[in-house]
Amino acid sequence: MTVNNTIAHQRLVLSGDRERFRELLRRRLIECGWRDQVRMLCREAVKENENSNVTFDMLVTKVTPRARALVPDTVKKELLQKIKTYLLTQKDQ
Amino acid sequence: MNDNGCIHLNNFKAAKGTNPYKIVHAFFVSCTSFEARRYKATSCLCFTCGKPGPRMHSCLHCIYFACYAGHIQEHSKSKKHFLYVDLSYGNIYCAQCQDYIYDRELNEISISHKLKEAKSLGISMPFMPWLPNSNEAMALRRLRKRRLISPHTTIGLRGLQNLGSTCFMNCIVQTLIHTPLLRDYFLAEKHKCKAQGSGKCLVCEVSKLFQEFYSGAKTPLTLHRLLHLIWTHARHLAGYEQQDAHEFFIATLDVLHRHCMNGVDENGEKKENGRCNCIIDQIFTGGLQSDVVCTSCHGVSTTIDPFWDISLDVAGPGSLAACLERFTRAEHLGSAAKIKCSTCRCYRESTKQLTLETLPIVASFHLKRFEHSSQIDRKINAFVSFPAELDMTPFMSSHRRAVDVGADNNNAPEGVFEDNRYSLFAVVNHVGSLDAGHYTAYVRQMKGGWFKCDDHMITRASLREVLDSEGYLLFYHKTVLEYDCDAA
Ligand SMILES: [Zn+2]
Ligand SMILES: [Zn+2]
Ligand SMILES: [Zn+2]
Ligand SMILES: [Zn+2]
Ligand SMILES: [Zn+2]
Ligand SMILES: [Zn+2]
Repeated sequence: MTVNNTIAHQRLVLSGDRERFRELLRRRLIECGWRDQVRMLCREAVKENENSNVTFDMLVTKVTPRARALVPDTVKKELLQKIKTYLLTQKDQ
Repeated sequence: MNDNGCIHLNNFKAAKGTNPYKIVHAFFVSCTSFEARRYKATSCLCFTCGKPGPRMHSCLHCIYFACYAGHIQEHSKSKKHFLYVDLSYGNIYCAQCQDYIYDRELNEISISHKLKEAKSLGISMPFMPWLPNSNEAMALRRLRKRRLISPHTTIGLRGLQNLGSTCFMNCIVQTLIHTPLLRDYFLAEKHKCKAQGSGKCLVCEVSKLFQEFYSGAKTPLTLHRLLHLIWTHARHLAGYEQQDAHEFFIATLDVLHRHCMNGVDENGEKKENGRCNCIIDQIFTGGLQSDVVCTSCHGVSTTIDPFWDISLDVAGPGSLAACLERFTRAEHLGSAAKIKCSTCRCYRESTKQLTLETLPIVASFHLKRFEHSSQIDRKINAFVSFPAELDMTPFMSSHRRAVDVGADNNNAPEGVFEDNRYSLFAVVNHVGSLDAGHYTAYVRQMKGGWFKCDDHMITRASLREVLDSEGYLLFYHKTVLEYDCDAA
């Protein structure tokens, strides 16, 4: 992260907009069914390892690559577009 | 997953209480104030490597920040500080148990901070999934019978017998039965009736009807009693005799809204600023703003009226969006319709504009295909296209205002999160001529599955078929539901 990036990041946190974007992403992922899909992936992973103790970290390693691939392009595009527009308007101020 | 934490966390709580968690959470996980956001913005970096991640954690014992790429583990080992908090989600990791652990008391703190944060940022609370309480969990364990709802389920689909030109009622009943939020309300048995057992409460009748529709049985239902009740009430209220699906829809909402007063529903039927808060009004009521502008002094007089549906003129072939655009366009009232201006203190020519001040959860559109005048009664068959997904933003008062002053609404931080998207979930059609017509309805079942309800017959339909149909009543459901900060 460069200095500029750090400042942009700090601004985002300070204004609360980082949290707003995060919430927007969360909602979109719920709406498109992504969260349910990931839940099913987790359930499968737990079932596969039924006799051993499944930890959070094991689930993260196992599920993350597939979960990332499942994020719809429309969601990525919308977020990217909105963050871009937001950062550009911030620059002018 | 149990939420009793672990012995290490319980020992920690016994020694230091919940305050360390509270402070870390309020300042660095869900910021409950501007001051907290300032701390979070400037200090959430790994004390060891200076990077902002991955997965920042804070030591619960000494508030040491470090990343999950090894540095928090290092700190934990060397200092024997075994508990640390994930700064993105607020979960607690116990290095002795070697996993995240869940504690009911701390979870409640986390939820209350999240609510506070949402409130301070003006974000409405998102949907919280239903979690069974201990009573409900026990009831579920006791009740062994399970009904699996798959994407291809046909549960909830039942035909309705035609009792002699009652198709105009059947299609409205089908629409209401497939209105997602209304279904959730009734299947959750939210209507607690004062007049229970009297057999006079229509809301109770509808509640029973939902149970019958979703019982799993497939034979067509006969609606004698319910229709008779609604019909007698409606006729009594409106004194009308026409067999029109639109009028029946409005009459049904009206009758149900009146009968909700019998109930002692969980949310209470208390009136907020004079408006009814019953389930019907919660779902179907929006606010229509009317601005009358005096052409001499440009003074504006604004009124807002509740509405249950929007009736749109069908001038000729066109689209729903075009109809709405016309509906919300400023209209010159002309010299024959002067209005008294309170500023000028005399009658002036003026313009009038209608916009949507608040949107209902279900937006119902009535295409005025029937023209009744003293000379003729006729039906307008013009093709009006309507979309499966509709954004209502352009027709809202706030948007029209922003357009008028030339502001670009989309860049406002609130504008980013305003969500006025709707999805089509039911269409009522009138086929045939004015006096020898028949009503059918298309309803959506699960995501993307459509069915045609033609009295006792239910057949699978495609979205294409629905969108190509003529359309008399169009029903859209809000795509994303927002929850008030206070309500949660
Ligand atoms: Zn420490
Ligand atoms: Zn580090
Ligand atoms: Zn432990
Ligand atoms: Zn009742
Ligand atoms: Zn009401
Ligand atoms: Zn005037």
